[in-house]
Amino acid sequence: MQGNYLTIALSKGTLLEPTIELLQGTGLPTRGLVPESRNMVFSYEPEQIKYIMCRPTDVPTYVEQGAADLGIVGKDVVVEQRKDIFELVDLKFGYCRFVVAGPAHFQDIALKDLNYKRIATKFPAVAEQFFRSKGLQVEIITLHGNIELAPIMGLSDLIVDIVSTGRTLKENNLVEIIKIMDSTTRLICNRVSYRTKYDVIQPLVEKMQQNEKGGGM
Amino acid sequence: MRNREIPKGLRDLLPDEVKIKRNIEKQAVSLFAKYGYEEVITPTFEYLEVVESGAGSNIREELFLFMDREGGILSLRPEMTVSIARLAATHLQDEPLPQRLYYMGNVFRHVQPQKARYREFWQLGIELLGAQGPVADAEVITIAVKTLDAIGLQDFKISLNHIGIFNSILEESNLHHEDKVRMRQLVESKDLVELSRVLESLAIDDPMKETIASLPVLHGDLAIIKKLPYLEKSPKASEAVTELLRIYEALNTFGVIDHIVMDMGVLRGLDYYTGIVFEGYSPDLGYGLLGGGRYDNLMGQFGFSCPATGFAMGLERAALVLKNKEAEAKRYLVGGTSLEAIINKCDELRAAGCIVEMDTRFSSREELEKLRDKKQNTVLIYIE
Repeated sequence: MQGNYLTIALSKGTLLEPTIELLQGTGLPTRGLVPESRNMVFSYEPEQIKYIMCRPTDVPTYVEQGAADLGIVGKDVVVEQRKDIFELVDLKFGYCRFVVAGPAHFQDIALKDLNYKRIATKFPAVAEQFFRSKGLQVEIITLHGNIELAPIMGLSDLIVDIVSTGRTLKENNLVEIIKIMDSTTRLICNRVSYRTKYDVIQPLVEKMQQNEKGGGM
Repeated sequence: MRNREIPKGLRDLLPDEVKIKRNIEKQAVSLFAKYGYEEVITPTFEYLEVVESGAGSNIREELFLFMDREGGILSLRPEMTVSIARLAATHLQDEPLPQRLYYMGNVFRHVQPQKARYREFWQLGIELLGAQGPVADAEVITIAVKTLDAIGLQDFKISLNHIGIFNSILEESNLHHEDKVRMRQLVESKDLVELSRVLESLAIDDPMKETIASLPVLHGDLAIIKKLPYLEKSPKASEAVTELLRIYEALNTFGVIDHIVMDMGVLRGLDYYTGIVFEGYSPDLGYGLLGGGRYDNLMGQFGFSCPATGFAMGLERAALVLKNKEAEAKRYLVGGTSLEAIINKCDELRAAGCIVEMDTRFSSREELEKLRDKKQNTVLIYIE
């Protein structure tokens, strides 16, 4: 929360391009804002808007702590991090889903037989919550990337990961076994900013909701 | 070797931090006293039954629990209001009402530590017991405003809501308990995405849906009340609105309305609130500074049915916003060669109200000059 600027944390990576389109559609400044840029902060003085470029997984942290007022980030990140933030708009782009996946012979496995399996994932909170809600005990193995490697190398039986097209799974001879939940990009907000900058934030929220309803994105 | 560590989420406070903290306490306490509030002190830990019968069992996972040797389960206090209610119910039943009490104490919650969130933190606040009606609530909110003002905060806002609006809508909705709990949580955390999804799936009528959906985003002056289509249909909810309006008017008369905004999304986490609820924010901090409201049923839990209203402020959070501490008084450093002369000079200065440090080692003038230069705001007096 930097003075009167409205600070928005943007997710670098695949979400950035549709995010820039969204900003344009909402009437926010995007001069010089291109995915290839190496700048980390973009300030627009006349509009009193500031963007900060973050790793997607850092966006909720910036927003929760008030270093950014708003953030644009996938639900997958929000649900894994469980930060104390407001989730204001489903922006509909950046679709993916959380799945339990594994080698083909697990395809028709009954839920109860997942008990005591080893699950590799980048999303330990989501995985744990899912299995616990089904009354299952599993061993969660947290990794930071290339989750598909874990069952291949015998590190785990199954994985919990996000997929969008399912291509990566297929390439690694893995199949989707259970869908846990869908995820799309969200507009999130700091608890206090929403109240102290309501006059700026609420109109943005409404515009984004309309865009999304009109199928504009 | 753990002998240099402290448990996670706790901290040491050094002189500069303590100064800010004590200054906040001093300002707040002198203000509370002027409004006729008197201090009470309750034990640092209570029986788990006391904490849970007041704050609800949702709070259990944040408690620091331990056993006493008779097998009772004890809890470090997670907040103060429940303890004050217990205290009043056991000791103040026969005292004339209303009772005005204030407290200041450390509270303990097993949370993930981060900026502005510690496992031990300090709260100070007031409770107005045995007073019903909008003026009592307005007095408490006014004191909240004046406290933030007195400790030197600017641009802060108090968000105001009446929990009865949301509760009566839910009550009349015929929803299952689980759905009600879920709804409350979604409104409170302003999860608009999930809220609209859940609302779509529920069998309740449209004005009600529209009203619930708009609660989290209604924020502003009195006009927002008109945006709740369901209210006309619900006598209970309208009653709550009327009360909210009366409190708003009273706050206007108290002269603090500039700091007040209506916010239908403020529900507060604790189970015991029954009427007005409010939270204080500063644009300089991403976390709430204070919170409070009316809790008419809490004292009844302890066998003393009595209306009550109050607020608590988090000291650490207020301290984070207060970058400019009070201009510090000059300090004197007195040294020399004759102990008698040094003591006389020190006593003379102290008698005049000065802060005086005495050199106890008969250091030379040069050594003391070096020492003075390392300290801030210090004047050296060297007696040859």
